[in-house]
Amino acid sequence: MNTKHTLKRLAGITAIIGMAALFAGCSKSQANDKVTHITYWHVNAQTLGGASVNKLVKEFNQTHKNIKVTAKFNPNMYQGLMQNLQSAQASGKVPDVVQVGWAYTNYFSDNFKYLNPNDAAQKFDKNTNSITKNFSPKTLSFAKNANGKLVGLPYSLSTPILYINKTILKKYGIDPSELSTWQGVEKASKQIKSKSGNYGVYIQEPADTWAQQAMMLSNGAQIKSNDGKAAFNSKAGQQAYQLYQDMVVKEKTALHAPWDQGMDAFINGKVAMAFTTVAQASHIKQSANFDASAIVAPTFKGKKLTVPVGGSMLTITAQSTPQQKAAWKFEKFMYKNSSLMTWDKGTGYLPPTKTALNSTIFKTYLDKNPMIKPAVDELGNAVPWTSFPKNGLDAEQSMIDARDQILSGKNVNQTLKSAQEKINVKQ
Amino acid sequence: MQTNRKSLVWHIPLLLIVLVIILPILFMISNSFKTLHDSYNSILSLIPSHPTLANYITLNHQINLIRVTLNTFGMATLVTLGKISTGLLAAYAFHNFKFHGKKIVYFIFIATIFVPFTTIMIPNYLVISKMNLLNNMLGVALPQMCDAAGIMLFLKAMEKVPTSLVESARIDDIPERKILMNIIIPILKPNIISIGAIFFINSWNEYVWPTLILKDKGSFTLPLALQNYISSEGGTNFPLAMALATIMIIPPLLIYVIFQKYILNSISSSGLK
Amino acid sequence: MLSNNIQAKEKISSRSGPVKRGKKMNIKPFFYLLPSGILISIFIGFPVLYTLYLSFFNWNLISPTKEFVGFNNYINVFTDPTNRQVMFNTLIYIGILVILNFVIPYLISIIVNFFIGKTKGPYKILFFIPSLFSLVVGAMLFSWILNPVSGPVALILRDYGMKLPQWTNSGSLAIIVICLITNWKVFGYNFILLLTGLGSIPKNIIEAAKIDGIPKWRVIWDIVLPMNKSVSVYVLILTIVEGLQYVFTPLNVITQGGPNYGSSNILYHTYLNGFVLYKTGNASALATVTFIIFLILLALEIKFVEGGRKHAD
Repeated sequence: MNTKHTLKRLAGITAIIGMAALFAGCSKSQANDKVTHITYWHVNAQTLGGASVNKLVKEFNQTHKNIKVTAKFNPNMYQGLMQNLQSAQASGKVPDVVQVGWAYTNYFSDNFKYLNPNDAAQKFDKNTNSITKNFSPKTLSFAKNANGKLVGLPYSLSTPILYINKTILKKYGIDPSELSTWQGVEKASKQIKSKSGNYGVYIQEPADTWAQQAMMLSNGAQIKSNDGKAAFNSKAGQQAYQLYQDMVVKEKTALHAPWDQGMDAFINGKVAMAFTTVAQASHIKQSANFDASAIVAPTFKGKKLTVPVGGSMLTITAQSTPQQKAAWKFEKFMYKNSSLMTWDKGTGYLPPTKTALNSTIFKTYLDKNPMIKPAVDELGNAVPWTSFPKNGLDAEQSMIDARDQILSGKNVNQTLKSAQEKINVKQ
Repeated sequence: MQTNRKSLVWHIPLLLIVLVIILPILFMISNSFKTLHDSYNSILSLIPSHPTLANYITLNHQINLIRVTLNTFGMATLVTLGKISTGLLAAYAFHNFKFHGKKIVYFIFIATIFVPFTTIMIPNYLVISKMNLLNNMLGVALPQMCDAAGIMLFLKAMEKVPTSLVESARIDDIPERKILMNIIIPILKPNIISIGAIFFINSWNEYVWPTLILKDKGSFTLPLALQNYISSEGGTNFPLAMALATIMIIPPLLIYVIFQKYILNSISSSGLK
Repeated sequence: MLSNNIQAKEKISSRSGPVKRGKKMNIKPFFYLLPSGILISIFIGFPVLYTLYLSFFNWNLISPTKEFVGFNNYINVFTDPTNRQVMFNTLIYIGILVILNFVIPYLISIIVNFFIGKTKGPYKILFFIPSLFSLVVGAMLFSWILNPVSGPVALILRDYGMKLPQWTNSGSLAIIVICLITNWKVFGYNFILLLTGLGSIPKNIIEAAKIDGIPKWRVIWDIVLPMNKSVSVYVLILTIVEGLQYVFTPLNVITQGGPNYGSSNILYHTYLNGFVLYKTGNASALATVTFIIFLILLALEIKFVEGGRKHAD
């Protein structure tokens, strides 16, 4: 008899849980057979154009009655998105359109099932005009994997630029034109340090080595050789890191800090220059109390400026044909000039298509936001972000470790050598 | 007199701790009323020089605050009720029954407290996905509905119930479920409230797991919305994030104020002697 | 106390017939354990076994092939220099957590209980408030307040000609700050636990010692601390196990384990392997080792706390 009661209780609990499920279920939108539902995964926090994404998705849903796009924000940038995508793939329920960061190009193309843009265009448009007409071959090269195959369509482009605190520079008589080389930046930083005690420059240190790769590349170094092996432990690579280490460790003119703290210090006027992504422009503009400006990234004396491109591509992970078709339609909408302008204004990224870059709306936008101009000027010097063919994520981690070791004072040549060896064992 | 002066000296370290505890909170509130510009340029002023409600207004524009708060409340309530009911039932079994392998079962239950969440995250995701509960509040809540720490706390609390009460009830042939419902639970009421409040607050602040499960904006919870204002790439909007953090703390604070007596007096009288 | 129950139940059994009763005894607790049992086996038991299984493979969770590697991942846990550093850091974390989240709250609870008379209320109320906060908020706040160049603390120190060290560049300083952030959150909770423990020690024992002229600190050392042992061991274990889980959030928000793994610990390193580098096998082996270490702690807890409790009964 008591057992019965216990059972009843259990039934009660189950009922409660069931009711909760019902309630939770109610919040889901009702499925309509005629409407194709697709999900779009992005990394755009409200401070990185999240509102623009929502606006575009809303507009698309209003104009396309038979497709419904749901956008999902993934915290912690491309790394966070990849974590969620990894789980989704393991469970077999993947989203349909996904932003993939450049550093993940090879990992993504090796491990995920996707429809590449060329195939999508062939399948649904019967030609690839929409790709070849809109994108320059250079821009397309950013989105190619180790086998030279296009993985997705370039969507957000960014380059590193040098933000400057003109108020400080003026005070100590430094002309921005002196900052076109890293040697010039080093010299100016020394001046600022000795006169004010403040730091001269901050170079971004997130969980990747994008900015550091830009320095090495701009000294003529290679990160990866043509046969896919790590090659940064060259004379040029060592020199670039040596200058960086000297500024941080010996001269104490460069700030060594995590990204958030470093940028806060720059915006507070405690650091005269900051070498970081163009995506920071609107944040700096809104918050700085001084004459903030930006110039083209420095290069090493006598060397050609070379910067790795940042940002992401849009990939189609939808599996069924109707889903893929809807995804392709959505992508084409997202690459319309007007959509790209909404997107770029919201995020601070550079437009990926030729047509948008040359449009008059973009030109007037640039005139109003001069801080973004240097980033556009650099596009001609941009190269794909290094993505090692095998164990690429491990390789990036080894480069981060090397950066941390060098900035804590370890010997540059030895550190780069052992990092390179560690990467090449797995290539 | 002398003892008074002596005890005054002891108040100094205590007041220092109060200061360390309260200052960050004051900074949080003060920044939430500053513009982005001011938050960078008048860092030390606890009272904003140009106080503004702009951050709260922006938040209200960008996210459906009421909806998000209700979502969070619903989820935390679901988890809390789940933990309380499973915990009470299990604790009752451990406390009032004799059965084979009790020690081993108890050990296994308690051992689950020690499983790092990184271990269980992905397998749980796979299970929830198989149950078709992705993007569903229940999918977020279900894996959290049992908490061995709760079982342990309830078990310890049950020790304050005089054995004779249960004994005599059994002699009177009162069914077990009535012993639990009508005798034990009323005695444990303060413990249930305090343990429940802690459960609620913990699940209120949960963010890693919901990020994985929830996808559309309509089902966002407050900690997820907070993530929306943190981005190294685009720059973190500190005052906006602090405004959201301030909103986020109000419900737990209310619960604390209402149940303060229970929480402070019975966190550990949960039987910890 | 448990044994009392059992006696009572035996008495009951003998009354209403041993066979029938005995059968029921076996099935009823099962129903009470069912809800939590099901949830625990699905959402914790299965994952733990799955992790154990995965720890013998090289796999990234999604690639079609997984390679069986035997005990390699475990050998790696103990031989890889990074892993060893991370293990060592974990010990430092435990040391600092014990001091910040256990020893100091204990000292403070002793002060509040024995040295300040009757004004306990406000402290209890205020100390507890940070436990209501999310650690994400805590980490953001402290990272901002302690920004070595432009945070409020650095600005104030600057006025006095002092400088805040670049704590994010030194593993050990970063560990201290990260522990301080969790300390902010759990201090009040642990304080209340310990204080309640102290408050339940019979006053007459302490009074008697006072009358005998034994100094206060001796009373505390010789009588109070031993009597409060079961609570304190409980808080101690909680400090270590929950503390290591708690430091994860500020670690992830502020340093990501850097510089060069200087502030990483075994839990964060598991996360890095499993969720950043997708080396699921390595991560699973690390997680299994962590779990075993925790289980040893649990065995200690049961020995001291549960054993201690029975003694007191």
